[in-house]
Amino acid sequence: MASQTAFEQEVARLIVDSLNLEDIAPEDIEPEDALFREGLGLDSIDALELALAISRAYGVQIRSDDENNRQIFASLRALSAHIEANRAAS
Amino acid sequence: MTAASSAEKATRPLMTSAPTPLAYIGERPITRAAFLADVQALAARLPAARAAFNLCQDRYHFAVAFAALLLRGQTSLLPPNRGRTTLAEIASQHPDAHALVDGPDAEIDVPILRVSASGEAGVAASPIPEIPADQTAVLAFSSGSTGAPTAHARSWGALDAVTRQAVACFELQQGPGPVLVGTVPPQHMYGLESTLLYALLGHASVLAERPFYPADVRAALSAHAPAVLVTTPFHLGACLRAGLDWPRPQRILCATAPLPPETAAQAERVFGCRLDEIYGCTEAGAIATRRTTAETDWTAYPGVQVFGTDAGRVRAQGPQHPEPVPLPDHIEARDPHHFRMEGRLADQLNIAGKRASLADLNRRLNAIPGVLDGVFIPPAQAADGAGIARLAALVVAPRRSSAEIQAELAQCMDPLFLPRPLVRVDHLPRSATGKLPRQVLLDLLARHGECA
Repeated sequence: MASQTAFEQEVARLIVDSLNLEDIAPEDIEPEDALFREGLGLDSIDALELALAISRAYGVQIRSDDENNRQIFASLRALSAHIEANRAAS
Repeated sequence: MTAASSAEKATRPLMTSAPTPLAYIGERPITRAAFLADVQALAARLPAARAAFNLCQDRYHFAVAFAALLLRGQTSLLPPNRGRTTLAEIASQHPDAHALVDGPDAEIDVPILRVSASGEAGVAASPIPEIPADQTAVLAFSSGSTGAPTAHARSWGALDAVTRQAVACFELQQGPGPVLVGTVPPQHMYGLESTLLYALLGHASVLAERPFYPADVRAALSAHAPAVLVTTPFHLGACLRAGLDWPRPQRILCATAPLPPETAAQAERVFGCRLDEIYGCTEAGAIATRRTTAETDWTAYPGVQVFGTDAGRVRAQGPQHPEPVPLPDHIEARDPHHFRMEGRLADQLNIAGKRASLADLNRRLNAIPGVLDGVFIPPAQAADGAGIARLAALVVAPRRSSAEIQAELAQCMDPLFLPRPLVRVDHLPRSATGKLPRQVLLDLLARHGECA
């Protein structure tokens, strides 16, 4: 099992809290696993909810026409990296 | 001669000759003549068939595909979701159907034609084509209260009639006309009517993109003025919670579930424009509107009447309905032109604006091989404020894993209806008469939560 970085732990907590994933512990989210469909089973409603939480917590606005939107939400690791990169840039 | 001309079929034009561009791809306007050239080019490539799936995601591609099918006398099939089983079921009813797609991932076993029109095929010099009014333009699908999916046919004349009513209500019948910034897919009746037909048959323009995140919606509204925001309570709520500064649209249209008056008032304040709700359903299409900050009752579109029946179900009929259509909600008719919506009928679910019948979901759950018994449990009430309440399910399936059952369900229903949680149990707590009292189910669900 790959271990979460400190920032990934923080984002994992945000995912679980903002989506009310009661039966999932933040530390159980595999950093490289898919968040949507076959992984955590998230859907478009969750994507919107998560985008709101990310904008509130980090001031990062997710856009559909962002380079590789699918890539951003691909995994906890990809999402955390996107947030970190865009937070640093602003 | 007289007999011959009266027997001549009534037709309606494919589109109006409004000066408004038919569409914008990004910020590039597509004239109606350029659109017609794209439509004619695609129509010439279509295989012979009676019907076709229109699965295009880009709204301009969808518009070209929709109009090309109309020109060829083919019916657009608008599936309620993209699950493999759902598409296969509809395809089995339409053996010669093909599919028009523009994305990578349609899991469908019929001949596929790619749509990539971009307004660059030239400029059509021909007059605007006429379409027979009685031609079946679309088949939309709902899960009927009996649990069987039901197809609802709309003729071109019916779509023309409802669109005329709506563009009169929303002041889209003359002038330069706004861009329709829609967060709803065009495969949904509301999306079809208000993000495509208002442009085709009124003075407005389609926006090819489908803004999804609040930042997308803001970018689209910033790029296009005047604009009408066509959205749902779910998306509108997300935009309001995003805490952004918003460009002022000309108007907001909202449908798929009733909007709380407080949210409507907040939206009018934050966006600085009026908000009108539309009442409609797959069965009848849009039939009424209200300005939610000023009125509770709905006003029927001009020409539409509502009336109660002995069975308690309220029916609606306008020139677009060959016969009165029972409405799938609990409705109290005030007079033939006004009604109040009291709530949904017991069997009907609405999650983030998507409707389903509980009986249909249960039927599909129990049809999965290895599922011996199973039941969906609707959420108590819509969660207040943030978040969307989801369904839960209790399932007896000793030989199937939760993941396998979820995967099977995902092929035949919208992801919004997938159960959270799906709990596997030894047996369901059926009463002597086979019934499953809601409270007993909730207790069982809660007990499982404690053990997990």
